[in-house]
Amino acid sequence: MTDPTPSAAPISDRGFLARKGEGSTILSWITSTDHKRIGLLYLYAILSFFLVGIVLGLLLRLELIAPGRTIVDAQTYNALFTLHGVIMIFLFIIPGIPAAFGNLMLPLLLGARDVAFPRLNLFSWYLYMTGALLALTALFSGGGPPDTGWTFYVPFSTRTTTNVSLAVTAVFILGFSSILTGLNFVTTVHRLRARGMGWGRLPLFVWSLYATAWVQILATPILAITLILILAERLLGTGLFDPAQGGDPIMFQHLFWIYSHPAVYIMVLPGMGVVSEIIPVFSRKPVFGYWAIALSSIAIAAAGSLVWGHHMFTSGMSDMAILVFSFLTFVVAIPSAIKVFNWVATLYKGSIALDPPMLFALTFVLLFSIGGLSGLILGAAATDIHVHDTHFVVGHFHYTMFGGTGFAFFAALHYWLPKIYGRMYNKRVATWAWGIMFVGFNLLYFFMQVVGIRGMPRRYYDYLPEFAVLNQIATVGSWILAFGVFLMFGNLLRGVLSGEPVGANPWGGATLEWTVSSPPPEENFSVEPVVTHGPYDFREAGLL
Amino acid sequence: MPLLSFFAARFLARSYRRLAPLALLGIFALAPPLGAEGLPRHPLSEVLSPPEEIGLDERLGAHIPLDLNFVDERGETVVLRNLVTGPTIIVPVYYGCPNVCSFLQGGLAQALPGIRLEPGVDYRVLSVSFDETETPATAAKARSIYYATLGKDFPEDAWLFLTGDLPAIEALTSAAGYRFARRGNDFLHPVAVFIVDGDGQIVRYLQGTSFLPMELTLALVEASEGRMGNTVRKLVQFCFSYDPEGKRYVFNLLRVSATVVIATAAAFFLFLFLTGRRRRE
Repeated sequence: MTDPTPSAAPISDRGFLARKGEGSTILSWITSTDHKRIGLLYLYAILSFFLVGIVLGLLLRLELIAPGRTIVDAQTYNALFTLHGVIMIFLFIIPGIPAAFGNLMLPLLLGARDVAFPRLNLFSWYLYMTGALLALTALFSGGGPPDTGWTFYVPFSTRTTTNVSLAVTAVFILGFSSILTGLNFVTTVHRLRARGMGWGRLPLFVWSLYATAWVQILATPILAITLILILAERLLGTGLFDPAQGGDPIMFQHLFWIYSHPAVYIMVLPGMGVVSEIIPVFSRKPVFGYWAIALSSIAIAAAGSLVWGHHMFTSGMSDMAILVFSFLTFVVAIPSAIKVFNWVATLYKGSIALDPPMLFALTFVLLFSIGGLSGLILGAAATDIHVHDTHFVVGHFHYTMFGGTGFAFFAALHYWLPKIYGRMYNKRVATWAWGIMFVGFNLLYFFMQVVGIRGMPRRYYDYLPEFAVLNQIATVGSWILAFGVFLMFGNLLRGVLSGEPVGANPWGGATLEWTVSSPPPEENFSVEPVVTHGPYDFREAGLL
Repeated sequence: MPLLSFFAARFLARSYRRLAPLALLGIFALAPPLGAEGLPRHPLSEVLSPPEEIGLDERLGAHIPLDLNFVDERGETVVLRNLVTGPTIIVPVYYGCPNVCSFLQGGLAQALPGIRLEPGVDYRVLSVSFDETETPATAAKARSIYYATLGKDFPEDAWLFLTGDLPAIEALTSAAGYRFARRGNDFLHPVAVFIVDGDGQIVRYLQGTSFLPMELTLALVEASEGRMGNTVRKLVQFCFSYDPEGKRYVFNLLRVSATVVIATAAAFFLFLFLTGRRRRE
């Protein structure tokens, strides 16, 4: 790549954080079209919602610490898990890595000055905030917080008197934010690569963002249509999902999952991209199987778009459809496993440094593998019928989404925040926080899966006395996990505000973002970089 | 299979409506044998929008009167108070029901062996006929059918099949908010059971014809502790009105919009791919 010598920027140069002439007023931030500022705007918002989601999750676990009513009644519990789901899915996990870190890093990784459509980018953030605020308004207005679960299944969602219409409108607007970001990223990757950066030299995080962006463009409109149909059903009584009027409630489930299953790949693919960046850097080795990892992202996006029916094995489908969907679900495991094997092969004979980003990335591999394999238990029609709608599903989902995407998000925070702010957090505390989270996470979700496989259904505020011990272990795990998360955020915040200056390239990465000062300057590169080697070619970059 | 029978029922129900005028010609008498296989015997309009007089008003926390006399399947008069001594599942049916009552009791008979409570000790089941013309003999026939499903380990007196006179029936059903209506020899009625504790207090309703052992256990545990639970699974037990033509229309809409989305995306990809990357000035 370009001159790899670290420029050891003095921290007094605050780069894009304090733009010349504009300073750093709130107005200068919320009107900025700088991708890094927009990325940080997303990051702040997303982290705030994440904290709200955590608190709701803790309340859910607290209710389940004993059978019967503990802290909330059934209706409140229904509202709590709906809000926890809606906030975590639509406000944290889906935009988490692509919108925050995609915006922060994509142009830097490509050697570009900004994304292809900077104003559209800012508009997407406004759409996101509008949707998010509407979603939060839905909690406090109308007929009470929605109680349908984040899936808004009909016929309940068309009949409940709670504030579903507003929540659905919010998600609809959030969907547009997602589509526009996808459009922006696809165009950026095609148009704005630096000279010398062919498709074979794209950093793997870019490949994963690219695959994700296509899923966002193709699948999100279907969610939008589905949500409009709910509104039509609620407000106009069109009867599309009402059997008494010739409609079909199962059609809702098809439409919903045609988006929402690909959406779990929108959630996890960027996380895989982050891990693909981190593992080679901390193994000091070129990534093993570059093309296999890059194309498996595309394969996951493609195959993942054809498996939605596995959410509906018990809803009423022909046996043939069940077989086909079950088979396709197993097919998705192949590119996922290709990634895992290539990561492990990259580690092999590497010079592994267990810095915090690497610890989080390796945890991703472990927890995502557990989550992925338990997903196959659900993807197989016969076993799915046994564990359908139990806590096993909840545990599986959290292993993939929290253990997977969540930990990848934490890895990205530890990997790139020093770049963005030019300051390092306390690595010792970060390692402790990681360890505490790892223990808490597994206590919480492993025992959730166990209690599920023993028959505890999900979405009930109550359970049989025989499940009490396992639920109590999980609840204690939730406290440990939350303590670790807050320790991690405290440490990161302290690092951002008053950590040691890090210079341009603290981790010895060979991708383009490490060639500019930390924090990066406005418009990223003073001269357009020319790429002369691959993204993980540390020897060629003079880093080995 | 359920889908198939569902289509069959729907098809037959439609033909039935067309046949209805013929009933005036006396052919109506031929219809009942047709209805033996899950076909609704009631006019379709009534099935789709049930008349006001039938329904289920959940009266959680209310007490059923326990000083009512019924007759069990052996012909002996029993007082409800002596039967409701602990958690009790009360199953309002009529034994001559050609349709859902047998599914309801069959579903119960399948689920009960799967729960880990001791029948006759921890709980009891009472089927109560709301047809005052039924006799202990019909009740005994029903008993032999469901006891065959339950298996031989199920105690003799853990599930009783009661019949009674109209005042006793109405006292029980109206206390539980269970409203039914006679139509000739048959009845229009909700499909539900309810669980009472040892004092006759209603702690939970379970609707539908199939029960998970977990639901039953939870309800019975609640009854033994005097706690009350909300109805978590409400299943409207009427025939689906299903319109394949409307559905086809919707699927066409879906196909067209999907084609447009994919074609637009493909064109966008080709445009980006063919025009290549932008050079900076």
